[in-house]
Amino acid sequence: MESLNAITALQELDELRVKYTGKKGELTLLLRSLGKLPKELRKDAGQELNTLRDEIESKLEQTGRKIRDDENERQEKAQRIDVTLPAKGRTAGAFHPVMQTMHDIANIMQGLGYSVASGPEKEEEFYNFECLNMPSWHPARDMQDTFYFPDGTLLRTHTSPVQIRAMLQYGAPLRIVCPGKVYRRDNDPTHSPMFNQMEGLLVDKDVPFSVMKGTMTEMMNAFFGRSLKSRFRASYFPFTEPSMELDIECVECSGHDEHCRVCHGTGWLEVAGMGMVHPNVIRAGKIDPDKYNGFAFGIGLDRMAMLKYGISDLRLLFDGSVSYLLSGLGGEN
Amino acid sequence: MLVSWELLKDFIDLDVSPEEAAERLTFSGSEVEGITYTAGKMKGIVAARIDSLEIHPTERKYYIAQLDTGTGRHICITSATNMKAGDMVFYAGEGSTLPDGTVMGTRDFHGVESYGMMLSAEELGLHDVDDPSGLLILPKDAQPGDDAKNLYHIGDVILDVSITPNRGDLLSLIGMARELKGLYPKSLLKSPEWLRPLKQDKAWSEDFGTISLPDKGCYCYRLGLATGAKIGQSPLTAKIDLAHLGMRPITNAVDVTNYVMLMLGQPLHAFDLNTLPAREITVRAAHDGETMMTLDGKDRVLTERDMLITSGGEAVALAGVMGGEQTGINDDTSTIVIESACFSPVRVGHTSRRLGINSEAAFRFSRTVDPNLSSSALMAATTLMRDWCGATVDYKPLSAENEIYTPKPVKLTRRKLCTILSWDNMTEATEILEGFGIKHVEGEGDERTFLPPTCRPDIAIEEDLIEEVGRFRGYNDTPDKLPGELPRRADIGASMRLAGFIRQAMMARGYTEIVTYSFLPEDFPEKLRIPGDDIRSKTLTIANPISRDQMAMRTTLLPGLLSGLKAALASGRREPVRAFEQGKVFLKDDEHEHLEPEHVGALLYNGKDTRSASNDRAEGFYDLKADVCALIQARGYSPEFREGRQPFTHAGQTADILVEGKNIGWIARLKPAIEQELDAEGVYAFEIDISGLYDVKRNEFVPASQFPASYRDISLLVPADRSNDDVMKDIRASVAGSLALESLRLFDVYEGKGIPEGFRSLAYTLSYRSHERTLKDEEVEAVHNSVRESLKEKGYVIR
Repeated sequence: MESLNAITALQELDELRVKYTGKKGELTLLLRSLGKLPKELRKDAGQELNTLRDEIESKLEQTGRKIRDDENERQEKAQRIDVTLPAKGRTAGAFHPVMQTMHDIANIMQGLGYSVASGPEKEEEFYNFECLNMPSWHPARDMQDTFYFPDGTLLRTHTSPVQIRAMLQYGAPLRIVCPGKVYRRDNDPTHSPMFNQMEGLLVDKDVPFSVMKGTMTEMMNAFFGRSLKSRFRASYFPFTEPSMELDIECVECSGHDEHCRVCHGTGWLEVAGMGMVHPNVIRAGKIDPDKYNGFAFGIGLDRMAMLKYGISDLRLLFDGSVSYLLSGLGGEN
Repeated sequence: MLVSWELLKDFIDLDVSPEEAAERLTFSGSEVEGITYTAGKMKGIVAARIDSLEIHPTERKYYIAQLDTGTGRHICITSATNMKAGDMVFYAGEGSTLPDGTVMGTRDFHGVESYGMMLSAEELGLHDVDDPSGLLILPKDAQPGDDAKNLYHIGDVILDVSITPNRGDLLSLIGMARELKGLYPKSLLKSPEWLRPLKQDKAWSEDFGTISLPDKGCYCYRLGLATGAKIGQSPLTAKIDLAHLGMRPITNAVDVTNYVMLMLGQPLHAFDLNTLPAREITVRAAHDGETMMTLDGKDRVLTERDMLITSGGEAVALAGVMGGEQTGINDDTSTIVIESACFSPVRVGHTSRRLGINSEAAFRFSRTVDPNLSSSALMAATTLMRDWCGATVDYKPLSAENEIYTPKPVKLTRRKLCTILSWDNMTEATEILEGFGIKHVEGEGDERTFLPPTCRPDIAIEEDLIEEVGRFRGYNDTPDKLPGELPRRADIGASMRLAGFIRQAMMARGYTEIVTYSFLPEDFPEKLRIPGDDIRSKTLTIANPISRDQMAMRTTLLPGLLSGLKAALASGRREPVRAFEQGKVFLKDDEHEHLEPEHVGALLYNGKDTRSASNDRAEGFYDLKADVCALIQARGYSPEFREGRQPFTHAGQTADILVEGKNIGWIARLKPAIEQELDAEGVYAFEIDISGLYDVKRNEFVPASQFPASYRDISLLVPADRSNDDVMKDIRASVAGSLALESLRLFDVYEGKGIPEGFRSLAYTLSYRSHERTLKDEEVEAVHNSVRESLKEKGYVIR
């Protein structure tokens, strides 16, 4: 048995096996010679020898397996590779912050029961302005400098025309959001001639302001992944009455840094405009404003994305530069 | 709009700080965007009397002044020349601080010490108020030792308030005072001296004919007369007030009109009576095509929506928008006619928007000016002509009126109040509305009627009243709630669902998502060599672009993808570029119908540096093809690729992409000439219209066979111009009899040694399999042989 433990090569093991349990092995010969023993001794001796043979065979088997395993391991080690060499093939792509924001918020809003509606980007004056209480002479038009086409149509200046289109298409009650590109004749570090908005509209019976408030708070908390303080300020939009703007607690400094580059020390960030839908607008959607009311909101998706991902220049978002979007990812292939 | 806290005190007694009022205004709808303390860092600057003046003993350009500050005498040197002994000036002594933070010391002027300095208006932080090269000489009422901060509104607090377009009534100090009165009900409104009624009953000393208003867009038109005016400077405080409120002081007569407009909100215009073409005024609609030259020297072409103020048939002003060139006040004017009128906001809005003139007057009229303001504003203006210009003003104004807007009563019900605000105290609501000047005229219970003042035409429906209550109370104490039962299942929608799938798929395959502008340079189709008969050359063009580079709506996503590549290369990127974009393109179809199909496009470029430890950097057409296939196959469709042509792609490496027999786009290497322009070799791209992929195609479920397949290979000699697709079709068509071909796969393409010129060898593996049993070798062999025979008959050479 001791000699077994010392064995390291399969060949030696085979020699041992031949020596004891082989055809001419010592044990085999002993077993064969049992017949020569007196009958009364034969049984006990037979039992003893068989047990011994089983024991030796199992030990031989175990040792053999160990030797083979050791040998395999040696070979595998010889085939060692450097696991830190670069991965083959392509690295993963990266998302565009605004598109990610758009899909994230649409998903959040779906959870609150809002479906996604859409409308054309080349829009008619009628839907973009007139139905929304903004006739051509209206001073509120100054806030939305517009790109026109020679035929008098325009690039929508907000996603609000979808309010009208959705009401005309689906009627009341209604819950929709509409994400998409919008265009204004502005170009400076804080304005891009193309940007992205998400419109929301809820029309139902006896809708209170508190539901709009709850909806906006819930959306912001879900998007930023934590509970944020928010505040509502009275404001004005021609298509809502009353109208408000929503400020959320600064996502960068929570109001603790008076030199904060995001909120400039105010502690608050303006993120959305909203209000109870003006009865004229409900009427333009062919819904009876005496039976139904509702609220609408508009969020700047680019601004939300910039806040979430810490981007400071809006115009960087639309120059198509891949490197910019990739920075922060590990791979460079 | 800029609001002066000092001037506000003339109109309201308010017991709060400017900062507190700013916060209240911001939350109630008029956002205060900034607060400026006009004195800045000013400290220790006082009024001083020049007791004596003498010329510097050696440097003749300097004067040495002895100053009396009430508490002491100081020597101070100046190079200014506009003062004389006995004048009062502002003196910044040693240790005092200027508004910009400069701390005063002593300075040696060629042997004479000057202790601090005497100040010009500019040095006090007052721009445009006085000659910047001379000292600011103070009126005689100043006392030596008075702190400059407390004099002439120098130390004012200016609120920069953003006024929403519905609140034209807030574009004045008196309007802001009324708003603050509503927000702080305990405060008291009051009137400055110059706003008190003035006895004006004398007939005009000058002949004047009639005022006629044939255009109903002029609600009323009044003229006041001031005679014997002396044109000069306005009082110092008034000049400082104007400067603080963002207006350059000009002359006293012009300043009066600006001042009254800023205080009361009524735009005014002052004419020199002697330059009026005739002694009559007519306000009429312009004729289509009529022209006039406005004050800014521009010739304006008018339409009949515009209104003109004419005199003797000659246009003297574009009503409510801008004056004409000839009739203004000049230094010799002595007889002044002041116009105070009210015009339709719709008409002025049209004119100012169309002509792009956003004058102070047009800004106010298009936001509605109280029609009842014209009389009192005219009286105030004439009062100030008397006070500032020494004019005689007790003449009865001339007036003409059309129909004037009168406010309509508006009902407030407890039910609606409660629905919207979740609050229903009608008594409190009534008090709040009264505070804003909205009169409770009828009803004591759950339904009450209110009459808004003439300055608030924005209050027209019940919701407007509720907003007044809401903004007074603030919105932040209302509890948060979520909407109740769903009207229907919420659906993210086919378009957004597909967009979400595509972006995830493309990002997983290593592409970065980009978003580029929908408008492109006008000549982008030319740059891409797109011919005139191609739908993509017929671009929709913006009539009023910001620049020519953002003018034509994109008809393809390729330019955006290329701009991404250019940006990457310009930034010095050497690694591969893989980008994709999804979005609309803008097309006109044959019937000139506008279409906005959703496209997805992607670009693959190996990068300038293709060295790689794993030698896997060189990707090309077939790698990109795998990405297209993955996108389309995941929607349940099998894409087909056919050799094709695109104006901007490689003539030998371009394919059309077909789904269900319909051409949905292209995949290609770009034209080498375009690659050269980009200085990038090997740029591959695809672009597809995804509108056919919204719904995932429903395919039949096929269970896996339980029986093994039999594989046979076949190698064919094929003319080089015969496509793999065609060969595979021939192979498939050659399988006849009972056995089905389970799959057919090309595993080798070879041309070169051993293959005749103009041919290539294509090797395929065919798998036969049954769903019912294990196939016997002999039957597979028989079928495969018949395939070989059939291919031979079709002219193929089997290797």
